[in-house]
Amino acid sequence: MSSRFAENTARLEGENGATFLALENHFNPTLALSGTLRAGSAHSPASNPVLAALTAQMLEKGTRRRTKLELAGELENRGISISFSASGGDPDTMDISLACLSRDRVLAFEALVEMLTEPVFPAEELAREKERLVGAVRQLSDQTGWRASTAASRLIYPAGHPYCAETAEEIIAAIEATTTAELADFHERFYRASSLILAVVGDVDRAAVVQELAGLLGPMRTGAAAAIDVPPIHRPASARERVRMKEKVNADVLLAHDSGLTRTAADFLPTTLGVAALGQSTLSSRLGLRVRDTEGLTYGINARMSAGRFSGPFAISLTVAPANLDRAVQSARAVLGEFLEGGITEKETLDEKRSRAGKFKVDLASNGGIAGALDMAETYGFGVGYLDAFPASVEKITVEEVNAAVRRHIHPEMLVEVAAGEV
Amino acid sequence: MATAASPHPAFDFVEEKNGIRELRLRANGLQVLLLPNRIAPVATFCVVYRVGSRHEAVGHTGATHLLEHMMFKGTAEFNRDRGTQIAATLEAVGARFNATTWFDRTNYFETVPSDQIDLAMRIEASRMRGSFIRDGDRIPEMTVVRNEFERGENSPFQVLYKDSFAVAFREHPYHHPTIGWKSDIEGMSTARLKEFYDTFYHPDNATAILIGDFEEAEALRRLDGHFGSIPRSHRPIPRTYTDEPPQQGERRFVVKRAGQIGWVALSFRSVAAAHPDAYPMAVLANILGSGMTSRLYQALVEPSLSISVSAISWQLRDPSLFSVFTAIAPGTDHARAEKIVRDELARVVREGVTEDEVKKAQNQIEADVIFERDTTDQVAGSLTEAIAVADWRWYVDYLENVQRVTAADVLRAARTYFHEDFSTVGWFVPRIEAEVAA
Repeated sequence: MSSRFAENTARLEGENGATFLALENHFNPTLALSGTLRAGSAHSPASNPVLAALTAQMLEKGTRRRTKLELAGELENRGISISFSASGGDPDTMDISLACLSRDRVLAFEALVEMLTEPVFPAEELAREKERLVGAVRQLSDQTGWRASTAASRLIYPAGHPYCAETAEEIIAAIEATTTAELADFHERFYRASSLILAVVGDVDRAAVVQELAGLLGPMRTGAAAAIDVPPIHRPASARERVRMKEKVNADVLLAHDSGLTRTAADFLPTTLGVAALGQSTLSSRLGLRVRDTEGLTYGINARMSAGRFSGPFAISLTVAPANLDRAVQSARAVLGEFLEGGITEKETLDEKRSRAGKFKVDLASNGGIAGALDMAETYGFGVGYLDAFPASVEKITVEEVNAAVRRHIHPEMLVEVAAGEV
Repeated sequence: MATAASPHPAFDFVEEKNGIRELRLRANGLQVLLLPNRIAPVATFCVVYRVGSRHEAVGHTGATHLLEHMMFKGTAEFNRDRGTQIAATLEAVGARFNATTWFDRTNYFETVPSDQIDLAMRIEASRMRGSFIRDGDRIPEMTVVRNEFERGENSPFQVLYKDSFAVAFREHPYHHPTIGWKSDIEGMSTARLKEFYDTFYHPDNATAILIGDFEEAEALRRLDGHFGSIPRSHRPIPRTYTDEPPQQGERRFVVKRAGQIGWVALSFRSVAAAHPDAYPMAVLANILGSGMTSRLYQALVEPSLSISVSAISWQLRDPSLFSVFTAIAPGTDHARAEKIVRDELARVVREGVTEDEVKKAQNQIEADVIFERDTTDQVAGSLTEAIAVADWRWYVDYLENVQRVTAADVLRAARTYFHEDFSTVGWFVPRIEAEVAA
């Protein structure tokens, strides 16, 4: 087993609990940073489901030292990008990313730290952001894909669950009611160094850069993220919903249920191999071969698993002309049924294992890709060595393990079926 | 024998610039570009064909794109019946792959672990002349493409950009969208697609690009082995000769459709990518629409009149458009948003831009170009566009040309192109109707 990542990555835990990782790549004079903080949407209180997302978005709107425009001017002048989002993949975390030319490293890090630790949430900026966000939510609510996934999540998960989405109306009401005091309070409670992870890859001195970040973030408050009370999922019988949207000539369709799998579960990897054979590629996986390639019913059909600290959904998604909706859904269900009954084949298992090993190389071929992988390994407690061990972990998975895992976690009788469009 | 400049006897060495080496396969005229980049053990192989929707006409609009879909249906060596379907074969090695079409070009690319470069070359060589173009495949693929078209029609931005080109161009084939008109997608025959394939898919109308972790002599040996026996086209590749005449007055259109958010698009007839004014126009697009400090963001988004705004200097082989798109906030009327955009452009025409603004735009473009080099597939994508609009050197020289731009250049360009008579205005007006959830 190679230990390329473990040997070459500098890792430092600051006194306040923050973790810093760095890997050198001097091919190009750039660097990428990927980070997480346990301040994602799952931490929003029931009284304000948008608080985490809005807090993250407001970080760039002014600090104790600089106004929004002074910050933006400095960063844009050098092509530095910094972003914060609490609406991404794992509802537990707020995701941080930064990209800059390596010559601008110090300036970029200082701005990042300033935004993360010293935001002031100016009232006039909040008012402006609210207006913009209300429009943006209305724009989202016009998208068939967003409407389908929102409706499906509400059929699968109870209110208050990290994967249960709010409707556009609920989001807008929460945005409009948010106060600067709430933002400051959320920041005070959840922006704590103990859950902060930052991974840097690029044209840097790895030992120096982790020290530099630890120094800059030394004053950040410590303290653990509060535990989240996740409501239990009462596994429903299958449900069906049609979201009628006039003049939407394409419909987005979701067939989904909770998988019961978290990112750290032993079954996660074998299940994802099975799901990949079922629907990773719209061109060559089982669903794509039948519903797209043979029957021509969809431009895109995929199966995926979403999982982080909490169990997330298994979902088949497809787009379809409304007239073909029933045929396409029936066909997708038939493929899934055959897949579970007959199981993944030896050849598919081998192909998926080779594919995963190859994708691992391809995905880690950029600074951003490696930084994201280091961040993920640290977030879920796998450690940097996970990246070195990953190819061997995939290689040893057997066809029996894949079949047992998908049968444990995928249940056609529990699928909710939602279509949004002119249906 | 290989000469000092030509590392392989089957190839003529043409030029090296900024690390990119151009060679030409003597047997059939295939242009080859090599760029070693050992950032990781991966490589991107990409074949660009100089064929796009510019080569289509009414009745077969969308042929380039539908053909691109058909190119995944198989060849004698790679097909579903043999268990060697192109996509499955590439998936099995973990490749990131796709194909894209645009006004001036089509490309096929695979980013693969570097021990799979040979596989990528074999697939591309196999489908250069050996692709199945069969009726039995076209019929289901037509409905796949029609669903892609339908997805686009759900997006107000896509509707507006397609209609902006359709209204601004009446004679030039930029008039129709690359995906084609719906009835052409449905009605195009397999024979017509085959004719399109036989006209444009030849080594002397293509460029093979290899970027990443490879050894040059070995790469050339493999390229010669896979592509060397494919003959060049036996007839000249047709060129597009239709020019769009000058526009003599503002044009307007309105799309009323169910939706939530209104949009305004304002476009001006502009220049070809290879024209010297393309660089000041690119800088101007950045000044107007890139980032929170940009002029249009400050005029529209900052005061909460719009949700988003972007400025695009389209870079195509023939003269195209400079466009501004804005999604307007609920409560802002279209006329007001349009006036604000017009006022901002008029301010540029009247007062110009500052040297600081130009410098900021140049810095951003420089950073973008350097970031792009982090990944092999992004460089392949940029080289594809350069080949489509001019030549690969256009990519190499781009940053230098942008850095030469002065505030005076931007002012002169704005005064040349931002003329009301050259403008096309589009409004997307949402009809908000009761929706029924059942």
